Amino acid sequence: MSHGKNERMFVRLTKSQRIQHVILFVSTGLLILTGFMLMGERWVIDMFGSAGNDIFYWRGIVHRVAGVAVTLVCLYHLGYVVVQEEGRSWIKDMLPCMSDATFAVQNVSYMLGFREARPKMERFTYLEKVEYFSVYFGMFIVIVTGTMMWTEQYWPKFWLDVADAFHLGEATLAALAIIIGHIFSVHYNPHVYPMNKAFIDGKISESMMKEEHGLWYERELERLAAEEAEATSEGTSNNA
Amino acid sequence: MNDSNYISTNNHYSETNLRMKTKQTARDITAALFLLIAFVAFFIPATALAVDDENCLMCHKYAGLGRYAKSEEQKAVKRIFYVNEELFKASYHGKLRCKSCHSGVEEIPHTDVKSVDCATDCHLNDPSTGRDFSHKPIVDDLRKSAHGPDGAKNSDDIKDLPKCKDCHSNKPYQISVDKELKSMQFIKVCLECHESEEWTNRFYKHMFYRAQTRRPSKQVVALCSRCHADKEKMERHDLDVVVGFKDTFHGKAIVYGDEDVANCLNCHAPYQLGFSPHRITSRTENSSPVHPDNKLENCQQSGCHAGAQEAFASKGKAHPSNVVVERVDEDGVTISQEEQEFQRWVLDIIALFYKILIIAVVGGLGFHRLADLYATHRERKIALRAAKLGRHSS
Repeated sequence: MSHGKNERMFVRLTKSQRIQHVILFVSTGLLILTGFMLMGERWVIDMFGSAGNDIFYWRGIVHRVAGVAVTLVCLYHLGYVVVQEEGRSWIKDMLPCMSDATFAVQNVSYMLGFREARPKMERFTYLEKVEYFSVYFGMFIVIVTGTMMWTEQYWPKFWLDVADAFHLGEATLAALAIIIGHIFSVHYNPHVYPMNKAFIDGKISESMMKEEHGLWYERELERLAAEEAEATSEGTSNNA
Repeated sequence: MNDSNYISTNNHYSETNLRMKTKQTARDITAALFLLIAFVAFFIPATALAVDDENCLMCHKYAGLGRYAKSEEQKAVKRIFYVNEELFKASYHGKLRCKSCHSGVEEIPHTDVKSVDCATDCHLNDPSTGRDFSHKPIVDDLRKSAHGPDGAKNSDDIKDLPKCKDCHSNKPYQISVDKELKSMQFIKVCLECHESEEWTNRFYKHMFYRAQTRRPSKQVVALCSRCHADKEKMERHDLDVVVGFKDTFHGKAIVYGDEDVANCLNCHAPYQLGFSPHRITSRTENSSPVHPDNKLENCQQSGCHAGAQEAFASKGKAHPSNVVVERVDEDGVTISQEEQEFQRWVLDIIALFYKILIIAVVGGLGFHRLADLYATHRERKIALRAAKLGRHSS
């Protein structure tokens, strides 16, 4: 899976998508950190000593600012996938379909050694689709319950307890899913270790694209060829 | 010092005549007197001479003074009778004589000693009334409160009820160093008119301490938890065991050292609303700040939840307890048993839902990741073998 220096690169993430991703992961990281600071056992919190009070104050501020940032980026993304051309293509390729189930079975059987090769997969693998829509589900829950707890004076105490239980449960699930699912696949995966640079430069190498997104690779080649043909035909017609 | 003096005088003796001897004797007596005074002054702290006119410190100054006694539960208790004079003098009661509180104590050994009663009239003049000062009104309040034998729900076990000493001890005024330094500058102003430095210091510290410092929330929680987190004790008195507070937002903030969130007393005896820890009553009483009718005002007090609506202070528990104690509320002012159980059930279901989801997701992803690593391992082996074969063939 070594990337040749002069290997052909394809666009994996556009600039807008990369910016959305940076805002999402920075604020989510801060939210997880500052949120779980409320779950620390006494002996852990005691280690902050006399700085504890200030740390607690800033914990609250950072959690709220990051919460607002993540809410805004989620709302922006909803508009993005509806309004923008780029976003519409994104969500079209992201929608789960029947072939995903086939890919899942085939890929797992390859990984366990029952098949010769990985299945040729689309632009987004089944796991990426699951991760993507989990964010919708998770964000919906944490944003709603977080807003409830921020406007606590309007809610009955029991509803706040329910909101708290959902907020904590979802946060724990999200944190673990991000660590075990996402961080492992884009950082600790031996194919990409120490990290998949696509989130920085937005590019994917030809070899990796062939290996992990075979169908998309073929589709991209066809599209590029068609574009080229169009350009040449346009060029020839212009010349004529 | 003693020895060298003796030798020098001895040498003197051998060399002098009778007249000189008489003069010398007088000198010796003077020297001996000085020595005696020095000796006495060395062993009795100079301050003791000034204050301890009851002479209690003659014995009680010795750090080893104490004995083992049997408690009511037939357990050995260490009883210490040592009094550190400096600490005592710096304490709240440092100006009082021992016998102001420890009555009896006329005989030695002290077989006639009575236990300390905080409702005794002190021989201190209360400048606000001109009468003798006493803690009696507070002791009376406590008797009538939920913590006293007259107001407690189940007063059979009187020994469970807190006494003055369970919450209060006679400590030195603890003022932080920076505040103490500022105080010292301020006291100089007081001393312009007030002559006695000791009195001025004490008066200032008393006022400053009461005005500027309250018991830190961490201490309040620890203090109340000594009884209210004790399952057996609470069951004896038909009360909820408070186990959930440490997990609430208020509880965590307090552990971080935040003094702006509510500790036990801010809701159960809010001093801003005129309540006192000595007058805590059951929440079923109309006058209780945590009675449903007063809850809203209680949450809104001193700007804590200034915008709280009726719903915020309605049904629900500020600190859920895991242990539901069988309790009957005739007037239904608190949440009914069924409702409490329902709420508990809902929260448990949510927690269970997430537990299952987390196990499934983490298990699934973990399995997928391990399988992927296995595949990579295989791929590498194949690549390695291919490379070897290539080398052999070439």
